[in-house]
Amino acid sequence: MSDVIVIGAGLAGLMAAYYAARAGERVKIVAKGLGATHWHAGTVDVLGYYPTAATPVARPLDTLRDLTRAQPQHPYALADGALDRALQDFVTLMQEVGLPYAGATSTGDNLWLPSPLGVARPTFLAPRAQRAGDLSRPEPMLIVGFQGWRDFYPTLIAENLNKQGHRARAELLPLDLISARRDVNTVQLATALDDPARVESLAAALRKVVQPGERIGLPAILGLDAHVTTLERLETQVGAPIFEIPTLPPSVPGIRLTNALRNRLRQLGVRIEINADVIGFRAEGDRVMWIESEASGRPLKHRAEKFILATGGILGGGINSDHTGKVWEVIFNLPLVAPANRGQWFRAHFFDPEGHPIFRAGVAVDREFQPIDARGARVFTNVWAVGNVLAHCDPVRERSLEGIALATARCALTIDH
Amino acid sequence: MKRIETDILVIGGGATGTGVAWDAALRGFRVVLVEKRDLTHGTTGRYHGLLHSGGRYVVKDPHSAAECIAENRILRKTHAHCIEDTGGFFVVTPEDDNDYPDRFHAACQRLGIPCEEISVAEALKREPLLNPRARRVFVVPDAAADSFQATHSTAQAARHAGARILTYHEVVQLIAEGSDGARRVVGARVRDVARGEDVEIRAAMTINAAGAWAGQIARTIGVRVDVIPGKGTMIAVNHRIINTVLNRCKMPADGDIIVPIHTVSVLGTTDVHVQDPEHLTIEPWEVELLLREGEQLIPGVRRARFVRAWAGVRPLYQEHYSGATRDVTRDFTLLDHHTRDGVAGFLTIIGGKWTTFRLMAQVTMDKACEYLGTCKPCLTATTPVPGAEHGHYWLGHRLREVEEHHLQNELVCECELVTRTMLENAARNNPTLTLDDLRRDVRLGMGPCQGGFCTYRAVGILHELKDEGRKTNDEGETWEVATMQSPAHNQRSAISGQRSPLAISPFTNSNLLLRDFLQERWKGLLPILWGQQLKQERLDELIYLALMNADHLPDKDARSPMSDFYARPGVVTTADHRPSVGIEEARDE
Amino acid sequence: MHTTSWHSVGMTLDECIKCNICTAYCPVAAVTDKFPGPKYAGPQAQRFRESGQLQSPDFSVDYCSACRVCNEVCPSGVRIAEINARAKAQIVAERGIPLRNWFFGRNEQLGRIGSIAPHLANLGFHNPVSRYLAEKIMGVARHAPIPRWSTQGSFRKWFFSTPRLKSDKKVVYFHGCSTNYYEPCVGKAAVIVLEHLGYEVIVPPQNCCGLPMLNNGEFPAAEKLYRSNLEKLVPYADKGYPIIGTSVSCVLVLREEASEMLDLENEATRQLKAAMWDMMEWLRDLRERGELDMNFRELKMVLPYHVSCQARAHRMGRPALDVMTLIPGLDVREGNAKCCGLAGTYGYKVEKYEIAMKVGEEAFRFVRAQGDEVRFTTSDSEICRWQLEHGTHKACRAPIEIIAAAYGLYDLDKRQPI
Repeated sequence: MSDVIVIGAGLAGLMAAYYAARAGERVKIVAKGLGATHWHAGTVDVLGYYPTAATPVARPLDTLRDLTRAQPQHPYALADGALDRALQDFVTLMQEVGLPYAGATSTGDNLWLPSPLGVARPTFLAPRAQRAGDLSRPEPMLIVGFQGWRDFYPTLIAENLNKQGHRARAELLPLDLISARRDVNTVQLATALDDPARVESLAAALRKVVQPGERIGLPAILGLDAHVTTLERLETQVGAPIFEIPTLPPSVPGIRLTNALRNRLRQLGVRIEINADVIGFRAEGDRVMWIESEASGRPLKHRAEKFILATGGILGGGINSDHTGKVWEVIFNLPLVAPANRGQWFRAHFFDPEGHPIFRAGVAVDREFQPIDARGARVFTNVWAVGNVLAHCDPVRERSLEGIALATARCALTIDH
Repeated sequence: MKRIETDILVIGGGATGTGVAWDAALRGFRVVLVEKRDLTHGTTGRYHGLLHSGGRYVVKDPHSAAECIAENRILRKTHAHCIEDTGGFFVVTPEDDNDYPDRFHAACQRLGIPCEEISVAEALKREPLLNPRARRVFVVPDAAADSFQATHSTAQAARHAGARILTYHEVVQLIAEGSDGARRVVGARVRDVARGEDVEIRAAMTINAAGAWAGQIARTIGVRVDVIPGKGTMIAVNHRIINTVLNRCKMPADGDIIVPIHTVSVLGTTDVHVQDPEHLTIEPWEVELLLREGEQLIPGVRRARFVRAWAGVRPLYQEHYSGATRDVTRDFTLLDHHTRDGVAGFLTIIGGKWTTFRLMAQVTMDKACEYLGTCKPCLTATTPVPGAEHGHYWLGHRLREVEEHHLQNELVCECELVTRTMLENAARNNPTLTLDDLRRDVRLGMGPCQGGFCTYRAVGILHELKDEGRKTNDEGETWEVATMQSPAHNQRSAISGQRSPLAISPFTNSNLLLRDFLQERWKGLLPILWGQQLKQERLDELIYLALMNADHLPDKDARSPMSDFYARPGVVTTADHRPSVGIEEARDE
Repeated sequence: MHTTSWHSVGMTLDECIKCNICTAYCPVAAVTDKFPGPKYAGPQAQRFRESGQLQSPDFSVDYCSACRVCNEVCPSGVRIAEINARAKAQIVAERGIPLRNWFFGRNEQLGRIGSIAPHLANLGFHNPVSRYLAEKIMGVARHAPIPRWSTQGSFRKWFFSTPRLKSDKKVVYFHGCSTNYYEPCVGKAAVIVLEHLGYEVIVPPQNCCGLPMLNNGEFPAAEKLYRSNLEKLVPYADKGYPIIGTSVSCVLVLREEASEMLDLENEATRQLKAAMWDMMEWLRDLRERGELDMNFRELKMVLPYHVSCQARAHRMGRPALDVMTLIPGLDVREGNAKCCGLAGTYGYKVEKYEIAMKVGEEAFRFVRAQGDEVRFTTSDSEICRWQLEHGTHKACRAPIEIIAAAYGLYDLDKRQPI
């Protein structure tokens, strides 16, 4: 029996568990699998574009005032000030666990970092390894990739950076500097660079190609378990600022973040059960008594006083749909805010700045982040919903995925922080 | 203006056009083929991939059926590598029980189409997902055909025999000389779309094989050819839930066929009379119909994961016709404009089916020979095209080759097992203005993730290739197009150092390639986007927007000849579904 | 293998969104190129497989160890390990099974033959010459930790020749081959705990669960074993007796894997699924109902616990941890290693032994990190116990042995009832 069960092990779920454990609750996380942190940049995006994807945001916390007024049901509006504190909590926590995050030099500004296409992408907090990619810095960039490695293209990145007015050039190094293996993904390369000998050989090659005054951009593979030492070693041995550019999934920065958080949670006594696919629940009146996850024999019951839904929306699998246009929340079948029929789900253009209405579908909550129905009545007294499963936002289009996760996680359970 | 002299000018780069070029070249003519976009841009690239046994038409259109079985046998030899010997079933479902099955069986016998009845139990053993309530099942020699590979191989065969194939060359105007009643077509003025220049092509005989656009071509000199465009919509299940072509045993109707082709299963099709062959929209009722009818053959299919929807236009033709498109003859027509319209040097070949393309080409060139005063025999029926020597396609071949030759690290499109070398070779040898051109060559982006991972990789790889040299090449002699889909063969040609000049247009911008392809993929997803595929698309959105910020790429105003085509909506977005229980009224915007 | 119904595991390939999480966590792909990763070998390759093809297109799927870490981390519910297993079975169906793998499948017979003269059998197998020859001729890695036959007789011999408790409360015990022939002490510990809790233990005729055959692709033979076990065990399920097993692998096969991999589901398979329990799962259930004797002695020690991948594959939480943490003084430390590497018969194969040892390094490191004073480690599966001992040189005990010791009924050092 737990006090709190969090369903979902993405950033929102992990942080909601963190807050609950910190407040002294016995917490268990139950998740079908691992989450979107493994696919994204490992940064904390708060608000990149508003009101549509056409308009970049310079200072997200300032713009939040407009957003709150214009979209009073947006999770940021409901979280009302929690975002600020949630971001501070996150910075403190990541410092504690040895994976420090920081924002732009001008506090409150969005940080613009190069994407794997070389486009400036807005984020608010980035891990140490990505900071030197700050595009507001004047140093010219040397983007380094590896011959034949399919997940990173320095010449394209450099060309696009140049087109946006930044100075950049590209170099390709042999892949066997890092790994003699034929078939490698980001995680395997990062693991290889946990080895100091490999770091040394990479550093030697970089020293040969870097020019004075340049900073070096590499794909985000600079160590996994030994990331901190690998980064330090590399910078020292090369003698130039180094930054990572996260590329196609699996996201090594995201995995580092998840691992650090999970370790911290374990230290706090939080039980994390991955591979637990919730298939049912039991409520008595308006109180959820237990949820049930699939097992090899009989389903496994998980009892708790409180439940936090952090299942991630359509992306995380927390919301499903079918050909009739039906959309549903998969755990508790909570009422959803969604377009009335399939004809209204999409716009004709993939890149439409307004995004696609179906991706705004989600669970509606009140100011305590408890799910409500169409009449505004609370559905269950002991359920909260956080993160990407919430309605009235499109975290991908807005570039607010992690910001919403952090702010809403802090609001769950109405803990007196 | 650049000028080309030739014997035969073929307009249209689909199955028929390339077939005519092949036939003509084998007969020793000089041939130039022009296609306004990429090969198979038209109907040939948008059908379900059926090599007809003729069973479908035995009752309704026996002449057409007889042609089908004859050509079926020929194509299995000449284009062996493009064909997967799946076999076909004609299934009598509980909805279909009447006297049709016996008439069908008898007609098959009469026309010499092998047709063997098997027990439903046996059918279920071979196809476990088949409707267990089926009443009768007949086996026929249907097969699955890869029309991309086939057209490319036919074009290659034509090239080997001296033909010139010019893609991205759009006919602006036929050139006719003489006065009313005694005119003669002497060629065409054509626009090289990539370079933006006009080319004049002079030919003794011009053959209009432009399919759904045949009317537009003829109209440039005031000749009337009323093509009846019959749009057909198809949707593809993410994987092979069947391995035999499944037909409903009844008069041809909408949604009565499921074709296993490459890694997907295609449900087809509808038949809607449209005006514009270029911009087709898919309507929700069509998808609903295909799902509903599909359930008759494979119960449960409506809950499958669909990965793609597309529409093609049948270029149907029937002199003086005014009924429903479903009932227009599937037979083909050769229009001899000299006798019909007083315009010599001009033939139009229209109608028919993919299965009969070779015969259509033969009939056309026989007529052309009459006019040109030479009587060379047709050789296509007995001349295998390059690649046929590899034998029939089988589903596992790409995986087998990747496994045997340890090419896993080479994979660019992991879903469809496309290697880097395959991509580079195709890009070097086929004029590539869009990633969609490469998709047709090697199946890039055609799997479950619909370009989620491979779009980035392909763009990056092509970008690196561009630095090698900005030459265009429309000959492509040094590369075996017959093996464009083979990971192992491509690896060998890369290893042996065969590098041909780059065929990519110098005007292709990498950012444009990426944006266009993502939009192109999106267009074909909207009609079937729900469930797992919707989740997939959200991941693809996360990658390209949140991670890559691709919607803010430089060169926003760059355009390719296909950008507008991709941008036109391919679906009717007005509501057409009843909302079901559990959905809140949209209180959002 | 072609999917035969909408419920077949092959259909779950449609859940795959190609996200690469499985590939990021696969412990085998992490250490060798020979296995291109679960996404590649599972849902991706599955689209290129169908029945009736001239030949199976696969080779590299043979290097999947079936540890099921991929299933664990997949957010979409793809049954990757099962898809791989069926692909392996297709290879076997076409190309036949290597003699060595055939032998591995005959665990039950090998066990029985060796138990006739265990000293001789142990001598015969466990000497450097035999091991060398076995490697050269059969491909059995000479250093891999093959178990020794029990020199005190099989478990069944002990059970049927010693006085056992009779009671109204009955449970059925499924011992499995390894407990019967190699580790009867585990079975003894189970029986004395069950009797201590007041249950009469029934040990019916039973067969090998068939896991080595399933893992090596010998599906028809595995199906025979499964059907035989169904016949023998379901009558007890009918009577409402819980059927308890101490081997997490056997229980997984009988509850889920056999049915899924063989695409065989019916009333009997469902009954067995509902009636079977893992030993620790059952004790935890007793605890939740307040029926578990809480009178544990203090066991003061650091106990590193390697959670077997097979135990995690049950998705039943951590019942061993839940019960062992009830023991006063016991400092159970749960490791996070993905797989010990041995993975059933995988690490015994000469071409896979090095891979298995590299994969297992994570577990060995974890044990080493708990300190030199550690005397015992624990792990749910016998395979892990043998591999851990091999890699750490520390004795490894089954959780039920720890429980038996905590009840004062069992000697952990001598591995026998007191």
